[in-house]
Amino acid sequence: MSDIVSIIQRVLGEVDLVLGWTATGAGGVAAPDRFQTAAEAERAVFNATCVHNLAVHLPRLKDKTVGIVAKGCDSRSVAQLIQEREIDRDRVKVIGVHGLGGMIDVRKIWRLHGYGVPVDARIDSLFIDGREVDRKEYLRQKCLGCRDTVPVVHDKLFEAQGPPITGIAEAATVEAILPGTGLGASLTAAEAMSAAGEDESRPLSELFANMNPTERRLFWREQYSRCIRCYACREACPMCFCRDVCIMQTTDPHWTGAGVDAGEAEMMQLIRVNHLAGRCTGCGECERACPVGIPLMLLMNEQNQVIEDLFGYRAGTDPEARPPLLTFDIKGDSRSEK
Amino acid sequence: MAELKLIGFLCNWCSYAGADMAGTARMKQPGELRIIRLPCTGRVNPLLILKAFQQGADGVLVSGCHPGDCHYNEGNYYARRRLELLSRMLPAFGIEPERFHFTWVSASEGARWADVVTQFTRKIEAMGKMSGAEQGTPPAKASCEAGVGAPDEQTGSEDAVPA
Repeated sequence: MSDIVSIIQRVLGEVDLVLGWTATGAGGVAAPDRFQTAAEAERAVFNATCVHNLAVHLPRLKDKTVGIVAKGCDSRSVAQLIQEREIDRDRVKVIGVHGLGGMIDVRKIWRLHGYGVPVDARIDSLFIDGREVDRKEYLRQKCLGCRDTVPVVHDKLFEAQGPPITGIAEAATVEAILPGTGLGASLTAAEAMSAAGEDESRPLSELFANMNPTERRLFWREQYSRCIRCYACREACPMCFCRDVCIMQTTDPHWTGAGVDAGEAEMMQLIRVNHLAGRCTGCGECERACPVGIPLMLLMNEQNQVIEDLFGYRAGTDPEARPPLLTFDIKGDSRSEK
Repeated sequence: MAELKLIGFLCNWCSYAGADMAGTARMKQPGELRIIRLPCTGRVNPLLILKAFQQGADGVLVSGCHPGDCHYNEGNYYARRRLELLSRMLPAFGIEPERFHFTWVSASEGARWADVVTQFTRKIEAMGKMSGAEQGTPPAKASCEAGVGAPDEQTGSEDAVPA
């Protein structure tokens, strides 16, 4: 494996700072960090717990030239930010990570082995508390169907040389019923299953797909009743960059009130889904950041799929593309005319 | 059955005039629909529709100028895409897509307007009020313990942000 430290040090010659990871999280998992000097970059790591989408920081660093380590999924966020003229392509150096074998869901590890247990998550193998385990069982849900193993935009490539992702989707069933994030989500999943009247071994997305609208309404009501309005979903989203003027918090227009209840939380998420139409790259950071484990990606994935079906468009795959909702097709759009 | 709440977002130039025409011609039409006049269907933020449902509407109708007839030339073309996306997303939000209808009625189509309103109202009457649709007054917040596992541990340094 080529060395992430030396790549970052090389890129540091061209930019003010580089966004990457250090192994300073609980039990040695990765935490985001920034490097400004070659000495600082000595700390940099890249392993299978580097799940965070660092592109979220780019809009806040517009006054600097920035290097960023980006997985395939993260690179779509970078491409989308370039498309939206939110960042300048010339001022960003992307170290694309190529050939990953899927990332590890550390919450899954913590849930089964305790918080802070020592984790050595290499690209191709996983050690928990010194013992090797089958890494397939701890992969993140979203990595199983990965379509973005090759970074969309990159200036340098970091060859991670992980195992191929294809074929592992069937093997990874442990805890697949949960959307892969919140520790407290099991209660929710049980509720969801009782609503759908199905067995426990099926993924939540499948259960959701089999619910009728009334069941879904109750399902969401129950999910949203746990929302504490911390706005972590918004803060973690690389595409939610209108920080000071977010309509989730303005009183004029008054889309949401100040209350913390299921109704307001639902409106918040409807706003988010709406504002991310044709922009969401499906990185899953909103769901990962949610402290109460609301499966937000059920909505985002659905919308991304609908947009792909309707307009043949995937956000963040082409910085030059025309967003589908900012244009129209006089003839082609008439399919649903009544 | 409690009275249905139906909301209609109508464009000022075609459908609102069409509805006006149906009224002045004294055409018979059901009275449940509450009409909101907008400059153009291009002004219809999908959130307006979702908010209406969320606040307890049982059905939402959007009507504008026929494609090609927009007073602003292309407003309804943008609307068509947005509303198509919205109508496909409604099931995921937990709203029957049949409760939402978007169509085109011109200023001269008073009879068509009466027909659209009648059919839409009948359809929603057949479906009934939205069950569990007491959205205006959401249930008291579930207790915090309900879903939160070990909150202190969850906010571990995994999510630490570069300063």
